[in-house]
Amino acid sequence: MTFRTNYTVNKTTRFRLLSEDQKARIYRGVIKTLNDTGANVFHDEVREILGKNGCKVDGKRVRIPPEVVRDALASLPPTTTLYSWDGNEEMCYVEPGRSYFGPGPTPPNFNDPDTLERRPYIRKDATTVARVCDALPNIGYVQSLGSISDVTNGLADVYEFADMIQNTRKIIMNWAFSEENVADEHRIGIVMAGGEEAFKQRPNFIHYSEPISPLTSDVDAIGKCLYCAKHRIPQVYTPCCIGGATVPATHAGQIIVAMSESMVGVVLSQIVNPGTCIIIGGVQSILDMRRTIYSYGAPELGIMSAAFTEMLNYVGLPMYSTSGCTDTKKMELQSGIEAAFSIHMAMLSGANFVHDNGYTESGITGDIFQTVMDDEIIGMSRLIAGGVEVNEETLAVEEICNIGPGGHYLYEDHTMKWFRHHWQPTLMDRNSYEDWDAQGRLTMKDRIVKKTRDIIENYEGPASRVPEDAKKDIQKILDKAEERVRSQS
Amino acid sequence: MAVDLGQMAELLIAGKVDDVEKMTEQAIDDGMDPSDILQKGLIAGMDVVGQRFKACDMFIPEVLRSAKAMGAGMKQLRPKLVASGAKMAGTMVIGTVKGDLHDIGKNLVGMMFEGAGFQVVNLGIDLDTQVFVDAVKEHKPELLGMSALLTTTMPKMGEVINALKEAGVRDQVKVMVGGAPVTEEFAKEIGADIYGANAASSVDKAKEVLEA
Repeated sequence: MTFRTNYTVNKTTRFRLLSEDQKARIYRGVIKTLNDTGANVFHDEVREILGKNGCKVDGKRVRIPPEVVRDALASLPPTTTLYSWDGNEEMCYVEPGRSYFGPGPTPPNFNDPDTLERRPYIRKDATTVARVCDALPNIGYVQSLGSISDVTNGLADVYEFADMIQNTRKIIMNWAFSEENVADEHRIGIVMAGGEEAFKQRPNFIHYSEPISPLTSDVDAIGKCLYCAKHRIPQVYTPCCIGGATVPATHAGQIIVAMSESMVGVVLSQIVNPGTCIIIGGVQSILDMRRTIYSYGAPELGIMSAAFTEMLNYVGLPMYSTSGCTDTKKMELQSGIEAAFSIHMAMLSGANFVHDNGYTESGITGDIFQTVMDDEIIGMSRLIAGGVEVNEETLAVEEICNIGPGGHYLYEDHTMKWFRHHWQPTLMDRNSYEDWDAQGRLTMKDRIVKKTRDIIENYEGPASRVPEDAKKDIQKILDKAEERVRSQS
Repeated sequence: MAVDLGQMAELLIAGKVDDVEKMTEQAIDDGMDPSDILQKGLIAGMDVVGQRFKACDMFIPEVLRSAKAMGAGMKQLRPKLVASGAKMAGTMVIGTVKGDLHDIGKNLVGMMFEGAGFQVVNLGIDLDTQVFVDAVKEHKPELLGMSALLTTTMPKMGEVINALKEAGVRDQVKVMVGGAPVTEEFAKEIGADIYGANAASSVDKAKEVLEA
């Protein structure tokens, strides 16, 4: 009998930053900010909806009373499931304690996989990113790492999603310039799901949009939020807050502003379509006060993201966090150090969707090599977050007594079973000096490049399984979008 | 007792906005040479700020506070300098282009130029092309700064430059562009004179171009 009374198990590593009292204080700051000051909302229909549903509208300004926030939080779904586009697999659960790591959206540049030099992001990069991410075991969802520069201006987002969804079955988090473009992407999602009803039952993407700090919802961002809410598309509505510049330099103050500006989207989404999935969070980092860059490698990013995650757990919202990114320009020691810290913080805090794995140069250059390195770090971090299992079998007292002093465990069935739980590196070098020397003295960078190029050359993604009709329908959507842009210009 | 310009410089370095403004006013009332007030007081202080910033002894918020003090002093001093025909930094008009509500980068650049002695006219965000053209006609600035954070709004900067040409005022102003996705190549492509990679270096670059 293994029954025990009053026995507590830590199934995973325990990590907590904020006490209940601290969380309550920060939350009261959010409530007061929303009630007393509110946010500017540059969208007529949205202001009208909010005004009719308990918010106070004064020109562009919308103030949200506590009871409206409370009702919105109460109507959030406890869980939402996202599916592969073929509908065969449950890919992500938006619920507490589930963490999915992925790249980020829209840097203008890309680290060329052949030359390893920075250049503008082009259309074929979206396919490369989707394929490589599809192959990486610890990447849980996919973003593009760029904004395509070589298609019709204003359609980079639509082309990107059209290409990516055919090259990975993982959930894609897409973005859009406008409501019209998110509607195009919605159509593509519907085509891939096999119809409107199928998409409703099994949504295959999450839409990402951004309010602007401090406390501003511009017409495109909140318009896209409204579109997603109306159509019950799971969405992210998160700002990139610059500590000391667009928000206070203090972490608690930063979280209050960030949470308040996203709350506009949360409230809107739950008024328009109660129970629709919305995720908030965003990039929380500081302005480097010497170089005026928005730091993606700062330790502040890790601590603020973790604290924000706890705040969102406190109110029942999922967290879109940040990790695996760096301020450095080239693959080097700094990129690994910064990525490891932020990944581990995001992992320990239990953030739900963790983006920017693959951002270099402070978010200016996307780098799939960085993503490949991050995949390895996420694996290591996950093992640590997994904690120590304590039960009769893992205690292994019987084996210990059987072997006794001086023996070894290499022949044991217990070892045969449990050594497989040890984490196995795919990039970390654990060779002897002699083997390392004989194999060409490869550095971490060499190994990352080799692994990445091997995936690019040899990985068979799902592209060949996309039905011909779906490909044609997607092309039609793209053609129509082209026509629309032509008629507007 | 005559105003101590060395002390004025120290107050400026310490970012004492009101004190610098009052002291400048006092110095003018005392009949001191406006050029002396500018050179030995305000600019002497900002030179130290610049050196300390480059040496990492001062940080952006401190530099901006000093820049604000510089601006407060210049507000008092500018009419006197104009009247005396003394050489000084000119006017800069700055704004974020149509479709873009991003404010912070452009403000940061504006504040740095204020610190360099420029009179800065901050037009705001989400501005129609015509607003830039009208502002160039009205303020006759030496420098026009434009910012965009979105790849979709970047082309608007080129549109403004073309509109300046059409209005016949392109030659009377140097155009500087910046914003996270903006590159030197893009700046050249649209015919801008200066590419501002960041707030601090754009001041140096602009001075170089304007003094050439």
